[in-house]
Amino acid sequence: MNNINFDVIVVGAGHAGIEACLATSRLGLKTLLVTSNIQRIGYMSCNPSIGGLAKGHMVRELDVLGGQMGIAADETTIQYKRLNSSKGPAVRGTRVQNDKHLYSSFQKEALLNQENLTVLEGEVKRLVLDKDICRGVVLQDGSEIHAKASIITTGTFMNGVMHIGLKQESGGRVGDKASIGLSDQLAEFGFEVKRLKTGTPARLLKDSIDWSKTIPQAGDEKVYPFSYRSSDKLKLPQILCYLTRTTESTHDIIRGNLDKSPMYCGLIEGVGPRYCPSIEDKVTRFSDRDSHQTFLEPEGLTTDLIYLQGISTSLPEDVQDQFLKTIPGLENVKVARYGYAVEYDYVEPSQIWHRLETRTINSLFLAGQINGTSGYEEAAVQGFVAGVNAAHRILGREEFILGRDEAYIGVLIDDLVTKGTREPYRMFTSRAEHRLVLREDNTIDRLGVLASKLGIVSSASLGILSALHEKRMLLHARLKETKVYPTKDVQELLLKIPTTALTKSLSFEELLRRPEVSSFDLEALNFSVDKDANVFEPVEIEVKYSGYIRRQQELIEQSKRLEELLLPPGLLYSEIRGLSNEERDKLQRIKPRTLGQAQRISGVNPSAIQAIMIHLKGQKKLKDVVVEPAP
Amino acid sequence: MLRGDRDKDTICAISTPPGVGGISVIRISGSSAFNFTSKVCRFLPTSPESHRVYFGNLVHASSREPIDEVLVTYFQNGRSFTGEEVVEISCHGSPIICQTILSEFAILGVRPADRGEFTYRSFINGKIDLIQAESVLSLIESQSQQSAKLAIRQLKGVLSNRLEAIEDKMTWILAHAEANIDFSSEGIQVVDDHIVKEKLSVIISELTSLVDTFRLGRVLKDGLSVVLTGLPNVGKSSLLNLFLEDDRAIVTDIPGTTRDVIKGDTSYKGLKFTFVDTAGLRDDTTDLVERIGIQRSYEAQSDSDAVFFIFDASSGLSQEELVILDSLEPSRTYILGNKTDKIAYNIDLSAVKQLMSASKFYQKIQDTDEFFKRRMFFVSALDKNIRDEVFKELVHEFSDLQVSNIVLISNARHFENLSRALENARRSSELVSGGLGFEFLALELKEALIAVQETLGKRFDDQIMDRVFKEFCIGK
Repeated sequence: MNNINFDVIVVGAGHAGIEACLATSRLGLKTLLVTSNIQRIGYMSCNPSIGGLAKGHMVRELDVLGGQMGIAADETTIQYKRLNSSKGPAVRGTRVQNDKHLYSSFQKEALLNQENLTVLEGEVKRLVLDKDICRGVVLQDGSEIHAKASIITTGTFMNGVMHIGLKQESGGRVGDKASIGLSDQLAEFGFEVKRLKTGTPARLLKDSIDWSKTIPQAGDEKVYPFSYRSSDKLKLPQILCYLTRTTESTHDIIRGNLDKSPMYCGLIEGVGPRYCPSIEDKVTRFSDRDSHQTFLEPEGLTTDLIYLQGISTSLPEDVQDQFLKTIPGLENVKVARYGYAVEYDYVEPSQIWHRLETRTINSLFLAGQINGTSGYEEAAVQGFVAGVNAAHRILGREEFILGRDEAYIGVLIDDLVTKGTREPYRMFTSRAEHRLVLREDNTIDRLGVLASKLGIVSSASLGILSALHEKRMLLHARLKETKVYPTKDVQELLLKIPTTALTKSLSFEELLRRPEVSSFDLEALNFSVDKDANVFEPVEIEVKYSGYIRRQQELIEQSKRLEELLLPPGLLYSEIRGLSNEERDKLQRIKPRTLGQAQRISGVNPSAIQAIMIHLKGQKKLKDVVVEPAP
Repeated sequence: MLRGDRDKDTICAISTPPGVGGISVIRISGSSAFNFTSKVCRFLPTSPESHRVYFGNLVHASSREPIDEVLVTYFQNGRSFTGEEVVEISCHGSPIICQTILSEFAILGVRPADRGEFTYRSFINGKIDLIQAESVLSLIESQSQQSAKLAIRQLKGVLSNRLEAIEDKMTWILAHAEANIDFSSEGIQVVDDHIVKEKLSVIISELTSLVDTFRLGRVLKDGLSVVLTGLPNVGKSSLLNLFLEDDRAIVTDIPGTTRDVIKGDTSYKGLKFTFVDTAGLRDDTTDLVERIGIQRSYEAQSDSDAVFFIFDASSGLSQEELVILDSLEPSRTYILGNKTDKIAYNIDLSAVKQLMSASKFYQKIQDTDEFFKRRMFFVSALDKNIRDEVFKELVHEFSDLQVSNIVLISNARHFENLSRALENARRSSELVSGGLGFEFLALELKEALIAVQETLGKRFDDQIMDRVFKEFCIGK
């Protein structure tokens, strides 16, 4: 590989790495993917599932823009669920169970067949640095590979240490070595590198479980695939998952052995995910609860392994054996692999720009868990954004940055670079201030135009996308324009729905706004509605919640004023009067892109925003002065 | 006011009211305040003590000729009202001396302060919050003891504290409502509906009680405006003079003497009153000026807190007067039968009631006994005691007021915001058990929170800043 030049090098073939290398190679750039284990491309190291609240949203957004995860998840779904389907439209989320081996091989095939992409098995030891520019990477054998941009997506592998009880072992995942060297080099360069931890539960042998003591859980009949390119007929047979619960004796055993849990006896210094807590955490923190639910999830169609959702642990093997046996159905369980915790290095993410390039080393991009996030979906979307931005840099195009009002992806990255993170960052719907506008059902309408500008999706796919969008617009326009009159027939039909009779003529849109009226009811009134749920559902939601959606749009417009005020990159905060030292330090370190971002930095007060704004206006021209007191 | 270059400079202004007084105070603020001052106050030590007063001659910087004997108070950077280095010079209160000193500073390069700039600097240096900044304005402009008390309380942050407590509660509910949504798929209910409902009802009642104080707060701050109305020549102007204890209006016995609106201020028990005398209401006038005056009378009435309807008790209520009464709102109307000095007999109240009972006005009265007891007076402009009698009733509803113990809103901006917040809070409460789900409740509550934070100045909004600081006067 000596002296071979690439446009882009991607290090790591997890969920972030896959999206990154596909994005750059699909944009026509010569890309090299370096992975330490080619058999583990797109491996689901933890739960065999994709999506969930807010995470499902991101997978759909990624799909519209031209990402890979949605299709891979659709192709390998073995159970489909729409979470919260009875609740409001903004908090519904898609979650699927996947056959983890099929998922991984689907992704591997995609990479191996991708034009412009070379996959290399190897280990990256260092970056090639030319002052503050990253020129490529150095492999274990000492060979150098050069590229115009490098994207690091090493997940939990940087200085990874696995813990089972008080035993420790170097590694990023069972069966894979840790990557040593990279984070030391980053730390030497001045990056703030910290520790995080995450955990995974035990995998159980299918035949050792007494299924009669568990409650079977089926998936949904109606399927809304992640990708608008996928068929709603699932390819694989669908399986059941099984519900059981921990008992008081489970909790007693765990409590009695906390001193053997590396998290609790101080062995692990990294901060664990509050939102995805280990069973040790759950038992300690929710001590008033005598039971926690857990799902037994098959890891695939052909495997004998069962994933024990919600019971991640790093207790010693004998303790795991003991407490598992107190869970109904697991009395005689055999463990194929014990749960363990992984502790790893991450780069404090306020050290990167929105485009995911580091602030201090040019042409070096970071994506995924290395930035302190948790979850496959969070990783994938970062990989994509880093890939597109690396490509755009090389192609001389503009930065690709999604707004907080455009996508969860925008919220994720803005949070990371503005606030940093101290614990593994997981996406939630509550993190988005414009939640009602950022729904799963309207990703096409939100991001379709952007997708065609990016040019990653094929023109055929773009055709599907714009056809869907147009059908929705058309239906909405017809609802607005078509009227229903209070004739005798109409009134009778209305009473059947049942809804109140009309006092005057209404548009169908106004009629549909009534909570008790659904799109199907309109059929009886001779208003034909597109049968495709992908068409009528988003329109119905827009109509029914229009009042709230409009209010959220207004808030977006208000905040836009500040988001559109770009701050000059070289702004010297030390020169602005009226900032506290703390504010000055934070602003100088994070270097917000816009006044809106500056406002979101914790500890920066509104008065500081005022001061910055006036400082800038004052430097430009007198006419623009915002605070201009009367003479 | 510009940031950047202009904002790094040192500013000065006369901080006492214009005109001749015993002393005047000139305030200088900015990083070079002391430096500049020592060029004209050569008696100052090189390292002065903060909050200490120095005495000596202020001189021309170039000629060193004395201008005035002054007291100089030094406030070190971070320990002054503006948060910057400040010097206050107390000189003799002649406009000429003040101007001479100011021009000395101008020659040295100190810029005259813009309107509101001292308070503005104080705000952006984090010394005061937005409500406090607004209170400075109120305090400076307060025209009565009560309103000054209110302003001082707000300056101390009393309203801010109350609002911050409400803000805390809102944040708690929001956090828990959000957690309910985020963990819904994991079968965890973080907070029960009824707890959210309870907490919301506390917020609603706290906001309601604040919003309800607005009228009171505004009355304390701006005073109470009272319009005198009635037919020509019933003695409105004589009564105005009596209430103001001043011969403000021209009084003749020619009907239609008052053609325009005449205003006058007075105070009673620490409250300020603005009386407005209007042209007598008559339809038959051909005089254009008088007609315009009548038009203005109607306008003045609709803006006022109270209307005094005056009639001539010696001739009784005419049909025309009953028609005028019908256009008034009983809840803020007082009826004054004037010229009792011209009648020898006792007035029969029941006859007046009888006369009014068919009118629309009468039907709109909520409690007639109470109305005739408190709102109906028979007076003579010759009797000075009636001022007390009438004023006592006017302040009746404010009489138990202990401004020092309650939190009031007196500012229209706060009122608008908090009314909005209240509206949102009410709607979120309705949504708790409704079918729409917690995300809509969260949206309503978020809007309420924004309104409260805007009131507190915790959210940046350039338009609010503009509005607030434009009201300031130079030197404040």
